[in-house]
Amino acid sequence: MIPVALGVTFILFSLLSVTPGDPARLALGEDASEESLNEFRREYGLDRSFLVRYGFFVYNAAVNQDIGRSYVTRRPVAGEMANTFPVTLNLAFGAITFATVLGMTFGIICAIKQYSIFDNVTMVIAMLGISTPIFYLGILFILWFSVRLRWLPSSGFDTLSQRILPWITLSAPSMSIITRMTRSSMLEVIRSDYIRTARAKGQKESVVILKHALQNALIPIVTIIGIQFGLLLGGSILTESVFSIPGVGRLAVEGIKSRDYPIVQGAVLYIAIAYVFINLFVDLLYAWIDPRLRTRYRY
Amino acid sequence: MVLLRKNSNLYLTLVRLRRNRLAVLGLWIMLILLLTAVFAPLLAPYHYATQNLVDAFEPPSWAHPLGTDDFGRDILSRIIYGAQVSLQVGVFAVSLAMLSGGVLGAIAGYYGGHLDDVIMRFMDVLFAIPQILLAITIAAALGPGLMNLTIAVGIAALPTFARIVRGAVLSIVGQEYIEAARCMGASDAWIIAKHILPNCSAPIIVQGTLRVAQAILAAAALSFLGLGIQPPFPEWGGMLAGSRGYLRDYAYMAVFPGLAIMITIMALNFLGDGLRDAMDPKLKR
Amino acid sequence: MTQHSEFLLEIRDLRVQFHTDTGLVKAVEGLNFTLKRGEAVGLVGETGAGKTTTALAIMQLIASPPGKITSGQIFFDGKDILTKSEEEKRHIRGKKVAMIFQDPMTSLNPVLTVQEQIAEMIRLHEQVTNKEALEKARAMLQLVGIQPERGPDYPHQFSGGMKQRVVIAIALACNPQLLIADEPTTALDVTIQAQVLELMRELKQHFNTATILITHDLGVVAELCDSVAIMYAGRILEKADARTLYGNPQHPYTQGLFHSIPDLTKNVHRLNTMPGLPPDPTALPPGCCFAPRCQYADEACSANSPDMTEVEPGHFVACFKIQEKNGRQAHG
Repeated sequence: MIPVALGVTFILFSLLSVTPGDPARLALGEDASEESLNEFRREYGLDRSFLVRYGFFVYNAAVNQDIGRSYVTRRPVAGEMANTFPVTLNLAFGAITFATVLGMTFGIICAIKQYSIFDNVTMVIAMLGISTPIFYLGILFILWFSVRLRWLPSSGFDTLSQRILPWITLSAPSMSIITRMTRSSMLEVIRSDYIRTARAKGQKESVVILKHALQNALIPIVTIIGIQFGLLLGGSILTESVFSIPGVGRLAVEGIKSRDYPIVQGAVLYIAIAYVFINLFVDLLYAWIDPRLRTRYRY
Repeated sequence: MVLLRKNSNLYLTLVRLRRNRLAVLGLWIMLILLLTAVFAPLLAPYHYATQNLVDAFEPPSWAHPLGTDDFGRDILSRIIYGAQVSLQVGVFAVSLAMLSGGVLGAIAGYYGGHLDDVIMRFMDVLFAIPQILLAITIAAALGPGLMNLTIAVGIAALPTFARIVRGAVLSIVGQEYIEAARCMGASDAWIIAKHILPNCSAPIIVQGTLRVAQAILAAAALSFLGLGIQPPFPEWGGMLAGSRGYLRDYAYMAVFPGLAIMITIMALNFLGDGLRDAMDPKLKR
Repeated sequence: MTQHSEFLLEIRDLRVQFHTDTGLVKAVEGLNFTLKRGEAVGLVGETGAGKTTTALAIMQLIASPPGKITSGQIFFDGKDILTKSEEEKRHIRGKKVAMIFQDPMTSLNPVLTVQEQIAEMIRLHEQVTNKEALEKARAMLQLVGIQPERGPDYPHQFSGGMKQRVVIAIALACNPQLLIADEPTTALDVTIQAQVLELMRELKQHFNTATILITHDLGVVAELCDSVAIMYAGRILEKADARTLYGNPQHPYTQGLFHSIPDLTKNVHRLNTMPGLPPDPTALPPGCCFAPRCQYADEACSANSPDMTEVEPGHFVACFKIQEKNGRQAHG
């Protein structure tokens, strides 16, 4: 994880160092004096070369747990992250929970009732879900549920009613993909010989599906869910923008527009680390589901 | 026509593709879209930038089939011109990603060792940043504009192709006919070009098609966030962003550009799924 | 009140069809079959003759769609299984009729321990605690020649022959009255085949379970079975006890089968083969299904389908020519 964090911050440092625009001018405003601009640059190390700045950043992060201060608000980045990152995590976790629970349920039903009306309709909706950009879906939801029906608010993330639309919006593409994956994975497993063995024992069909088939079908599904979580973290940027949610993604976009590099670095770093953790978790999950991986280490 | 010999792989693929109704539909939509983009100046009833403040916020009518926006610009014309942007970004960004990612992946897989480690660790790092965020940062570093947007989206999609090609190369490079070619004195470049790349073309083409959809989506997202194509040039995502202030009263301003993105992505997904099934019938159930 | 029948299993005029892209496949077409208690019968035929479909029909495991039992009756212990509810069928499956499948490599669930897979069968059909079920599962492992300590292992940790032993342990766990073994040794190495056959012979003596052994190997049948049924294109053409059939095969198809077994005592350059191919199951011939390949066939054979007749005690053949011959002898 540390190499990933180093790599991610280095790539960001390089990218941001070539980004046009003067952070000092943007932070202090058009009529700031040359003196105060130079003062600002000295304070934030903007007068040093890019490698020196990167060295300081890594040193401070490692030794002092300090990842810099915002150019604009002058507050520590870590503090800004503490305010915004939980919001983004809440958004992403809510969405992945929706996507997983509903996606797998729909997928299993579709597999059991292959070619039924439910299956066909669900597959059409899933295709729509994959093809609709979340920022468009979010706007459509606002148009329908907030403007037209006045059921749910169109912005904010404090109350449950404010969270429902963002959760559903962000979960839609992942839910569609998980539904499709669950369906195809279950269809493949249901045709296998060991399912026939389970049926030959006189086992109930519901147990055959939920005990024997699902656990085997789960392996590719978990992979997809892991990938989807990463995409969700990216997609949360757009969802936060559509629903005016004070999360880390919106902070990053504002940071880029105002050349507030420490904020951008912090935001991307946090998201990247969260992503790495999720991949780790998925790997552990594999071993838990699939004894073939678990026992590999024993022999 | 030599390529279309009966029983050639391509011929069989096309035959199978034709049987897939959704894939054919996707192909037709993309064809229409391509023609729309090429003949945009002829098809569009107005120029994309023509402002007419008197006609601002006109709902759909005969004069303006999809209505007008806040500057009185014809939305249909802007969507038609917008097809140019989306298709260009989609195709060129994926070509860029495919070429550079493919070369990197082929080198990594073919030579292995330290070179492989370095390249793939770098790809892992790129993978650790959500693609949209990576594209945002690159787009910010490069500045606005069609070309820079294409590069940003292309680089963000690069690691995927590097992984696919590396995986495909690794699965082929150990096979005996590669050994045989090497024994006959074939050079590395020859082996890669003649034996390895043709053998991993199927996943690359399928991923390429699906990736064009992703690239168009990413470009629209960037423009939606205000980091892509700048006004007044029409980009579907940008048009959607421009409509956000008027959702309450002028919903059509948001609905139509979004629909354009959705239909395009769906057509490409149909086509990609169809190609996958057609190229590797084993995969289909 | 249990209605006691002479036969453990009696199949009357069974027809099973599959709807496929290429047409309606008639996998089993008017099959008649009987099995006595404790009898071991070998069901012999080429690939596609409908052996496995028959077995799955007895198990009530025909996948529907695409498959369907279109007519016939399957009496087990005197009662027609086809008319029973799904609930009742589940109590027969595993408990009274168990099945060993062809490929042990894929017949076991990869994510469950082998003892769990055996214990599942026991828990389903017997009133036991979880602990007793696992204990009995391990005892079953011992019975099939696997150390009971290996119970908590997963299928991928066993070899092919060992897996087939586990599959056999599952099938016999509830001491079924009928065991159907679908080519239990085909997927195994030759040396392992001999071991598994030996095990099955021992277990057959131990439990006295009626057995249907599906195979295309007449040698395997000779080792394990009391009687033999020859199946072709969804029908049984000849049935007799093993000794009779091997010594005096009557049906032209059976004769062809025996003729194609190489004789090691003779020096031959070419193996004998039967001319022609089995009929297309989507377009079965109207009369006797073997008529197109039969050197004795005439118009009558192509017009009607012959019934089974007893040519000598316990020896049944479905062939007009043999009926004619016997008829002549009887009258002459």
